Amino acid sequence: MTADGRIPGPGGPANAPLPAASPPPAAGQLAPDGEWLRVHPASPFVRGWLALVAIGFFFGRDIFERSLQGRPVFEEGLAGRAPFLLAGGGTVLLLTVLGFVLTWYFTKYQVSGGYVRVNTGFLFRQQRQARLDRVQAIDIVQPLLARIFGLAELRFEVADAGESAVRLAYLKIDEARQLRATILARAAGVDLGPEGAGEAAPEAPELPVLAVPPSRLVGSLLLSEQSFFVALGAVVSVVLSAVTDNQGFYLYLIPAALGLAASYWNLFNKGYNFTAAISPDGIRLRYGLLDTQAQTLPPGRIQALKITQPPLWRPFGWYRMQVNVAGYGLAENAGEGTSRTTLLPVGKLEDVMGMLALVLPDPGTDQPAAVFGAGLTGLDSEGGFVTTPRRARLLAPLGWRRNGFTATGTALLIRSGRWWRELVVVPHQRTQSMALHQGPLARRFGVADLVLHTTAGPVTPRLAQADSHEALALFDAQSARARLARKRQTTEQWLRQVAPAGIEPQPGAVEPAPGAVEPAPAAAEPGPVVQPAESPAHDQQEGRQHG
Amino acid sequence: MHTGAIDPPGIVWQRVSPKYVTVRLVEWALGNVVAVLLLSLPLVFVLLGWWIWPPLWLAVAVPAGMLVVAVWRLVLIPRQVRAIGYAERDDDLLIRTGIFFQRTMAVPYGRMQYVDIGVGPVERGLGLCTLKLHTASPGTNARIPGLPAAEGARLREQLAARGEARLAGL
Repeated sequence: MTADGRIPGPGGPANAPLPAASPPPAAGQLAPDGEWLRVHPASPFVRGWLALVAIGFFFGRDIFERSLQGRPVFEEGLAGRAPFLLAGGGTVLLLTVLGFVLTWYFTKYQVSGGYVRVNTGFLFRQQRQARLDRVQAIDIVQPLLARIFGLAELRFEVADAGESAVRLAYLKIDEARQLRATILARAAGVDLGPEGAGEAAPEAPELPVLAVPPSRLVGSLLLSEQSFFVALGAVVSVVLSAVTDNQGFYLYLIPAALGLAASYWNLFNKGYNFTAAISPDGIRLRYGLLDTQAQTLPPGRIQALKITQPPLWRPFGWYRMQVNVAGYGLAENAGEGTSRTTLLPVGKLEDVMGMLALVLPDPGTDQPAAVFGAGLTGLDSEGGFVTTPRRARLLAPLGWRRNGFTATGTALLIRSGRWWRELVVVPHQRTQSMALHQGPLARRFGVADLVLHTTAGPVTPRLAQADSHEALALFDAQSARARLARKRQTTEQWLRQVAPAGIEPQPGAVEPAPGAVEPAPAAAEPGPVVQPAESPAHDQQEGRQHG
Repeated sequence: MHTGAIDPPGIVWQRVSPKYVTVRLVEWALGNVVAVLLLSLPLVFVLLGWWIWPPLWLAVAVPAGMLVVAVWRLVLIPRQVRAIGYAERDDDLLIRTGIFFQRTMAVPYGRMQYVDIGVGPVERGLGLCTLKLHTASPGTNARIPGLPAAEGARLREQLAARGEARLAGL
């Protein structure tokens, strides 16, 4: 996030547009390259509605209660001071609104030359710019109120694992979609050509892949681990009440039930109507009942993946998929973090396989179904897995036949858990670093743990209790595989990658967008091409900054 | 030279400076001596007759136990320092630590985001430094303590140069 010290005045675009031949505004609402735009005027109110409601509630409740009780709205002593109070309240309200308006006025954004820039603040100004090809994910979020007004928030994530790099709240929903398409097209390296530089990038076509029916979502929530402990807690309370003749234990149920209802509601609200689609821009996830969210994960942005199955889901053959994405990090605020890192809240085996095909277009093996199936449910050496040696079964009496790993040509699979089944998939080119761990007990049994480090997220790949020699061999082999995979992957602009390994999960399934999937011609084209060929040194610098 | 079962064979480990033992001793003293003294306070109070509880045996046992643990740690320090090693391979840096709980870590040069060199007050007096590598993963806890300052600077430049040559995206 560089700040070059130049702060555009409130009057208009201060940062000059691209030097050469910025064409006049094209038809449609998309601005020409480099023009500074503002978010929707209503957005501060939509964002600050809670404050306004709070003020209203504070004053309104008192008046309401008084009128209900038949008392005068203002007591006698107060009535004389009413004008002052009203004036004070009005001033506060006016200042708040003025603050809103100023915030809106000084918030501007611009997409040009491979960067997105946002200026905010009027007392403490902030300029922020983020490279488009460093995008890790783009989300369009619609809280209920924004949805009523047809507005949406756009979040642009880079590999910072902290807050979103760019949050534009709020835009009209069509504008948000358009901006997303533009950003993604440029991040992908689509060359619009000189004459097309100001035109809107066509929105990439989508192919729906799966949807989670509400009934299954409800079932999965009822049969989640949480429910198990709820039932246990309820039984314990009732039994205690009955045994001790102390009705007080029932009372514990009330706050617990309220909290649980809120928690279930949150999960239901977030997981409702979950759909996944594939487009040349990446995987699109949509979900939400009142607050809706649409996530776009460009290809190759998923760092690690976890498929789990709690014991109660087993009769139904349901699975849950979670991912590590560099931009999402661990953000645990209000359950948002968990829903954003969920690739599939609940799905059947074919859904899981479908999503795997999207995330890992090239499974690197001839029999993906057999290998991944063995990873999900298998035991012992089926599917080519190498498990914990028999001599170490005391260390993992239940899981030793399940703990294991196998490596395909493109990813490492680590499975564990006899009851809480878990399969972790890490693409070779996403491994950051690795470590072998061995404690004294493990050394007695001749086993070791291998930990793969990935970006922050719900997935922490750890191969437990592997044979020492196997673990060491894997440590070496995995270093070599990761090295090879890194060499193969050259650029962040996924449509420019030379290798065809890319974006279409099932050949022929996605009809490519006319202008969106053509591999760019020679990158050194003159003129205001969207993403000029960058020098390697520049890329490296950026690499150290953003990852 | 200590190499464990989980170390890749045929690696020539570079060891950290033996002077790093001093740094660890100071850290040990700061932590453990204070802890033992604090835990001995009840014993003093009981002996002076100010406190009736805890009983004398407990007042003796707790600081004594702590003392045994502290001495045990003290004895281990030289071996732990000898067990720290690093090796520059062609494509990654290997770092090993530990005697009982061994850890061998490989950090590819191309994955390094930045390299830190930190110098504490005791280290500065001894001419040592601590090198820390960061990747995009918070799980990469790769630090090499107790490097001589010149070696630390050399290693940092070396790592930066190699990282530049092999840099990969995220």
